[in-house]
Amino acid sequence: MVSCSSINRNPKDAYIPDMAHSRAYETYSDHSNLTKKGINYTALPVQGTIARNEEFPFPLSHDAVGDTTNYFLSRSIKNPIDTMTAHEMAEAERMYLIQCGICHGKNLDGNGPLWKDGSGPYPAAPKNLKTLHMPDGQMFYSITYGKGQMGSYASQLNRKQRWQVINYIKEQQKK
Amino acid sequence: MTNYKSLTKTFLFSALIALSISFSNNAVAQDGKALFNSNCAACHKLDKDMTGPALQGTLERWNNDRQKLHAWIKNPMAFLKTGDKYANDLFIKWNKIPMSPFDGALKDAEIDAILDYIAKGVQPAATGGDGKTAAAGQKAESDNTLLYGILTVVLAIVALILINVNKNLKRITEEQPEGYKGVAFWKNKTNITVAILALFIVGGYLTTKGAIGLGRNQNYQPTQPIYYSHKVHAGVNQINCLYCHGGAEEGKHANIPSVNVCMNCHKAIHEYTGPALTDADGKEVNGTEEIQKLFKYAGFNPQDANSWSADKAKPIQWVQIHSLPDHVYFNHSQHVAVGKVQCQTCHGEIEKMDEVKQFSDLSMGWCVNCHRETKVQFKDNGFYSIYEKYHNELKSGKIDSTKGITVEKIGGTECQKCHY
Repeated sequence: MVSCSSINRNPKDAYIPDMAHSRAYETYSDHSNLTKKGINYTALPVQGTIARNEEFPFPLSHDAVGDTTNYFLSRSIKNPIDTMTAHEMAEAERMYLIQCGICHGKNLDGNGPLWKDGSGPYPAAPKNLKTLHMPDGQMFYSITYGKGQMGSYASQLNRKQRWQVINYIKEQQKK
Repeated sequence: MTNYKSLTKTFLFSALIALSISFSNNAVAQDGKALFNSNCAACHKLDKDMTGPALQGTLERWNNDRQKLHAWIKNPMAFLKTGDKYANDLFIKWNKIPMSPFDGALKDAEIDAILDYIAKGVQPAATGGDGKTAAAGQKAESDNTLLYGILTVVLAIVALILINVNKNLKRITEEQPEGYKGVAFWKNKTNITVAILALFIVGGYLTTKGAIGLGRNQNYQPTQPIYYSHKVHAGVNQINCLYCHGGAEEGKHANIPSVNVCMNCHKAIHEYTGPALTDADGKEVNGTEEIQKLFKYAGFNPQDANSWSADKAKPIQWVQIHSLPDHVYFNHSQHVAVGKVQCQTCHGEIEKMDEVKQFSDLSMGWCVNCHRETKVQFKDNGFYSIYEKYHNELKSGKIDSTKGITVEKIGGTECQKCHY
């Protein structure tokens, strides 16, 4: 009844575990060998389906390593969202601060907490977005597939959010 | 005489300092402590070498030369060039890792306050007072030993008192017939009753407590496949919770980030350079080695960073800590996006935890308590505006009140009402 250490490394027993543990496969359960167990499961969405807020088409695929064709082609792609309400802009700002600000800084000056004038843990200086001259489409390409040290943010921002964040950056550049 | 003058000056000055220290001892010391914690504590401890040397006894080591110390703190690299032997030896001893300069960041008075704080040194009672009493309070709640101990003591006292009362009563009623020796202690009905009652109460308490605790995992702190410090990421480096756990505002689960999210930063960050890390057992952890473990999962080769892509990664099997029984439905977005509940309300000060442990017991009583106390934001809330509209239309007769509002009108035929 009295534990030797105050650190609980193991979970305690459950009462009537059938009611505690799901029999159905839930989000965090082990999906690794379901096919072996005869369960039909695919982690990928059905071909041809479009998730909500992913409906803006972007026809260019990721360049192979060493190729830059699509990166430059992306310049010609227009931002499908040309007007945003104040509420949407505030939301875009919030997304920027969560996802981008950590490196690019809350003032877009390339001095986020991870860089901190070079004293942060991030070894490369992030781009100063305030002075960055880049067409919307190319920014979208960079956010979607990653560029240089920056990784892909496609899993963190949906297409709509990406275009909105680009709008937010462009708006801030005017100031 | 100038000499005399300067002497009086020094005397007056030191007397003033001594006075101010003795009178406003608390204020200065606290100031120094706060300054120390915000400026120095990341690398220095008073009694233990960390990233930098232990600072206790600094003044003695520097022969009480505050002027030198000021210069050293403000700009260590410049001070080294003056050729000071002690400073140069120290620099070499600490692998030539320079301290960051504090010129401009700290005023002279602030440096003095810090030095005074250091001079006071570690006071076991004072340093223990802050953290440990709070910890002890928490422990009493989670660790029942103390409670049982107190209970035992209380019962023992009660028993002693009863024995004494018994003795006294015996003495009073001593006038017993010749030869009567009284009832043996263990045959005394009062004693038997008290013992049975005590057993019943203690046993019942323990049984109930144990039964309630079944399946509850407060303070559960499993060892994870990688020592991932939330303190380093969310605390020191200020990464927003939603950067990794974006699902928290979009759906039922907060989501454990996939390896590509880790690699957003760790493609460039290959080493841990912050203050020393220890796990909950007190063992030292090598941050850089832990990052190497991540690279193994990610299939990432630091020498060939550019050829890495996310599809080389394998999932990391993190150990789930917070887990609700299957018969409870909990939705993160409902709480985070709609209810605007802070992550820390339920998960505790995650940004201060190296290894995450379950903060709340996740019991039904805990949920219900919060639901009892949390106010719903009615103002500027789109959800309630439709009810308000119908309410007004019913009142004004725009909607036939004999027919009323159907379930369909409040979203009852939405597909997801049934098919979710």
